[in-house]
Amino acid sequence: MLDIPDRISEWLLFLVKSQRSIAHLLINNELVLIKAGGELEYYGLADLKLQHSASDQLPFLEGLLPLAETPFLLESVGMPGGSVADVHLFADEDMTWVVLLDVTVEHDHARKIQQKAYDMTLLSQREARLIAKLDAAHKELTLTHRDLAESRDELLRIHNRLQQELHDAERYVLALLPAPVAEPFAVEWLFVPSTELGGDSFGYHWIDGEHFALYLLDVCGHGVGSALLSITVTNTLRSGALQNTDFRIPEAVLGSLNQAFQMESQDGLYFTIWYGVYHRPTGRLRYASAGHPPPILVSGAREQRGKAKSLPAVGCPVGFLPVATYERKECTLAGPARLFVFSDGAYEIIRPDGTILEFEAFEEVLTRAVPEGASELEELLQFAQDVHGSQDLDDDFSIVKMTI
Amino acid sequence: MLQKKVCLLGGFGVGKTSLVRRYVQSIFSDAYLTTVGVKIEKRMVSVGAAEVALILWDIAGEDGVTGIRTSYLRGAAGYLLVVDVTRGETLEVAKSIQALVTSEIGSVPFLFLFNKTDLKEDWDLPEQSLEDLKDAGHEVLRTSAKTGEGVEEAFQALAKRMVS
Repeated sequence: MLDIPDRISEWLLFLVKSQRSIAHLLINNELVLIKAGGELEYYGLADLKLQHSASDQLPFLEGLLPLAETPFLLESVGMPGGSVADVHLFADEDMTWVVLLDVTVEHDHARKIQQKAYDMTLLSQREARLIAKLDAAHKELTLTHRDLAESRDELLRIHNRLQQELHDAERYVLALLPAPVAEPFAVEWLFVPSTELGGDSFGYHWIDGEHFALYLLDVCGHGVGSALLSITVTNTLRSGALQNTDFRIPEAVLGSLNQAFQMESQDGLYFTIWYGVYHRPTGRLRYASAGHPPPILVSGAREQRGKAKSLPAVGCPVGFLPVATYERKECTLAGPARLFVFSDGAYEIIRPDGTILEFEAFEEVLTRAVPEGASELEELLQFAQDVHGSQDLDDDFSIVKMTI
Repeated sequence: MLQKKVCLLGGFGVGKTSLVRRYVQSIFSDAYLTTVGVKIEKRMVSVGAAEVALILWDIAGEDGVTGIRTSYLRGAAGYLLVVDVTRGETLEVAKSIQALVTSEIGSVPFLFLFNKTDLKEDWDLPEQSLEDLKDAGHEVLRTSAKTGEGVEEAFQALAKRMVS
């Protein structure tokens, strides 16, 4: 077969035999094991029984015999003994020879290389799937982020529009306030709404030729609802729109307001109000209060330290109780004097350390002499801002001054 | 005694060896040990009144480089096509192997096994792919060599089809 000397052929056979642990089997056409030899024990086949079924004893032969082609090779077949063999099958007339050649070393070597290659491949496949998942998550996040940005822009647009509407409402509220008057006595005011639209409002007007009405109210809370109620009440008083009410009688006015503005019908809103009527011919001031801070009457010339007098009156806020009644109080205003009517936002000033300005301290400031040319109300505002430590006060700052 | 040669086929790392070990020895290991060549196991199974010896050929997986050695398929009475549900690409590998086997040994009984179903979080196959195979007339079973789910049923179903 090979054009080499017999001794070299024999050497090659010896080499294969010594390195490949050759075993051989002979099976007849009835699939009976006829002959077995070589290093059967190495393959775990030492217990083979001759003249017995070959395929029962050698499972790897199942379905192969008779051979469809010859020679036929099954590579790297694991043997019962743990070794691995290349199984060579040869048809020989009506017999089949089976020759086992050991390839365990090559098998183990190939398995190590394949193990590393597959491990790497599985790892890279897993990495690719993770990257794909991350990409998908990133795309999802990007879309979500874009949606959030759009929502934020929309919210900003709505916020800006609402702010604009609030500013418009604030301008409207300010436009409704009466202009200062100088004769026959001076009335001036200062109104600084807090950052939100507030619930403070006030007004004054002549009821007739002798009676002058002055009032200031504070609706609970802040915002559009409070401001709307505040404007409604002010317009009601200014237009005299309370039926069967003598606007010269303060306790009657508050009683009528209480009937007209019960909190159940005002979305839970109520308000405090001080309402006074000055009778100019006699200098008498009649007044009533619905839970409002008492005004302060400061007697004496403004260039000198004055004397303060509080003007309290008993009454619960308007809207609390349908059966509420209001006390009428009165005093005489003798000039020179200044009457200060204000809301709680003018004196309930929170200091930076969290404490609140005492009412007595506010009262003391009102009694101070006012330098020539200075605006007393502006100085009061400055005082409040200094105490608060900021230009922006937490509540509406409303104060009306009537100078006799 | 009736003997039937059964080949386990599929891409590499899909769990063919684990299925055989679960079925023959009732054991499972998470460690992946690749198969080179073929390992042959045997287990008896009853199909009706008949006792059948299943000769299980656990054949090295298709890896896209070496391919399946067709000599291993000679004499197979049936085969199992194993798919790793956590690696979607192994379904296409199984389909291509099925075509190869049919061309080599003709039409013999086979089943698709969707293996590693215990890894629910890592499922990488659309549910529809399983339905598509069924619609094409193939028998598909869900298996987990780890939990044993569907393993006995898979070999039993194939044995039944090979004997009938």
